[in-house]
Amino acid sequence: MSRFLSSVDEYLGDSHVLFYLSDAVTQLLEHKEEYSQFGVSRYFAEYFSSVKNSNHVLFREFNYITATPHNRSSFIRVFWRCYRQIGKSGELLSVLEFRSLLQLLCPDFPVEMVQSTGRIVLMDDAVDCMMSFSDFIYAFQLQLYFREFLDSVLTIYQDLLAGKSPNTVIVPTSTSVEQLPPVATEENDKERQQRDGVEASTLAECVDALCDRFKHSHPSRSSMTEILAEKDKICFYSFLMSLSKHGGVNQDIGALPSMAELLIDPEMDQELDKLVAQIAVSPGSNSSGSAVIGLKEQQRKASPRRNIHHRRKMEVESDGSNEETDSSEN
Amino acid sequence: MADKEKRRSGVAAPEMPEMPEGKATKSDSDREFLSQAGVGELLRGAILKMVEARSDDPIGFLADHFCHLASMSDRGAGTAGCGDGDQLSNGPPSAGAREQQHLNRALWHLRLAHHSQRSAFSNNVRVAYDLLNLTGPGKHPGETPEGQEGSCTESPTGGGGGGEGEGGGVRGSLYTQTLQCLCSEGGVPASTSAPLLRRLHCHDHEAVPYDVFRHGVLTCAVFSDYIRQAQRLYAEVCCPDEGPASRALCLAVLGTLKEALETSQGCDATCCVNANTKANVCLEANVKAIRYLKASAKISPHKLAAAMSGAQARGPGGNMDAKEFENAAADLFITRVKVVS
Repeated sequence: MSRFLSSVDEYLGDSHVLFYLSDAVTQLLEHKEEYSQFGVSRYFAEYFSSVKNSNHVLFREFNYITATPHNRSSFIRVFWRCYRQIGKSGELLSVLEFRSLLQLLCPDFPVEMVQSTGRIVLMDDAVDCMMSFSDFIYAFQLQLYFREFLDSVLTIYQDLLAGKSPNTVIVPTSTSVEQLPPVATEENDKERQQRDGVEASTLAECVDALCDRFKHSHPSRSSMTEILAEKDKICFYSFLMSLSKHGGVNQDIGALPSMAELLIDPEMDQELDKLVAQIAVSPGSNSSGSAVIGLKEQQRKASPRRNIHHRRKMEVESDGSNEETDSSEN
Repeated sequence: MADKEKRRSGVAAPEMPEMPEGKATKSDSDREFLSQAGVGELLRGAILKMVEARSDDPIGFLADHFCHLASMSDRGAGTAGCGDGDQLSNGPPSAGAREQQHLNRALWHLRLAHHSQRSAFSNNVRVAYDLLNLTGPGKHPGETPEGQEGSCTESPTGGGGGGEGEGGGVRGSLYTQTLQCLCSEGGVPASTSAPLLRRLHCHDHEAVPYDVFRHGVLTCAVFSDYIRQAQRLYAEVCCPDEGPASRALCLAVLGTLKEALETSQGCDATCCVNANTKANVCLEANVKAIRYLKASAKISPHKLAAAMSGAQARGPGGNMDAKEFENAAADLFITRVKVVS
């Protein structure tokens, strides 16, 4: 048996199974009365079925959502399923509005991550600008799924900007490090530098070296090399934006469809049509939470010029998403 | 329990750093709740199963595992915790229903790992055996040792074959049912498996010890694979458009099969010469035979082709259909199975 034992840890580690078991037990203890009435086997069956079906992240705390790659991609997918109708209507939303949407699904979702996403979409400019659903969600996916990697790349990028040679970046823990003296630049030069970015090839080398030693998930090397080969100089956020729009990267994560199919949702369309028909019959029946009503108001304010059909769809969509989240919660 | 406690304390600690007394009582009551609900055992069993099965999708495996357990306990009375108002009486259910449940559960265990995954398979056989052992009133410890002297199994020493637990063994009818289900689930039609089952058969009233049970289960599992291979072999030999394959061709192929098995039989013979051989040797030889078969089917296509082209030139006319081929192949296998007497 010993030859199996060495890889047991790997096997368990890769799938994060112990994490899920631990969380299942914690949840069970926190909600003893509720969960134990049908027996613990049934409870665990439900828990793991929901993990398998990616329904487990809804309304969970941020730490849980970011704990495993599977959780992250599940959350992204849930966000997409709940809110893709927004994309259909062509709404543009601000960072804070997107954050509100996220908080409906995850109560303690931090604003910083949404802001970082905004910086990707808006290229670090005017973070108050509005964003389309499509731009946002792909950037959000990148930011959430590869959070640690992006932080590391940003550090590398900033070092490169500051003029440190690539070698110093590759071995950050070494104390005796040769540093090039920071390039003495004037204000204009510095700004220009930041705008233009760094040598793409240098960045590519550093990123490659990072991937060698990096423990967390990162986008595939081939896609990154592809992007960095396109230009001579590249700035950080345009690199990220290209990554977010890269089909291969998206496919590897596996949470979202391609851009062309992002807004296609025939089932939901059918459901919405049904709901619209119902609402037309009994207008008072769907009493949603105040947050959702607030959302409806917000959306109406944001784009006053829309035809009736779209607006109705929006109302129903909010209800629809509520329906969906309600049913997923069960 | 230790690992579960470790996990739990690892999780509990960050939640309540400021309340030492509160923490103590909360984790005590938590601990009590968990041990009452049997969570530790449940999880330990699940992890063990999962590690043995090494499924590609561990989460999916766990989901299935727990769903299965849940449906078992939903259906069964007398198992812990499910007072969910299923129409089961508070008294014990009929012996037949309970037996059926046990059988289903045992079969589920046997399906988990392929017989080539030796340790996982053995473990599952053990679990299945223990499950079936618990069933029913018909356990006669006294009958065990002398009743089952298959020539492949060692004569159990005085205390019965190596610690079976409560009963003397699995009831013969249950054993036979298990084998039948295994064969049919493995894709072997009843008519093909009937001769095999006759050889492995134990009388309904007899108590089947672990070794015999394992031998039977393993043989059926291997046989199912063998038949599937034979079916595939026939498909290779025969083009479906042209109707059944020529008899000569089939006979040639079967001849090669037979040779392969006989080669392995030679190994059997030398193995069995050693006195006081353990049961496992014969079982292993069975498995080896199948391995040889697979190997020969795969790695000597030219031998097969030579036989086939030779056969096409001469040999009996007429065709052999899939069924006949399958039966003939099965026959080759079955003649090598020792009879359980």
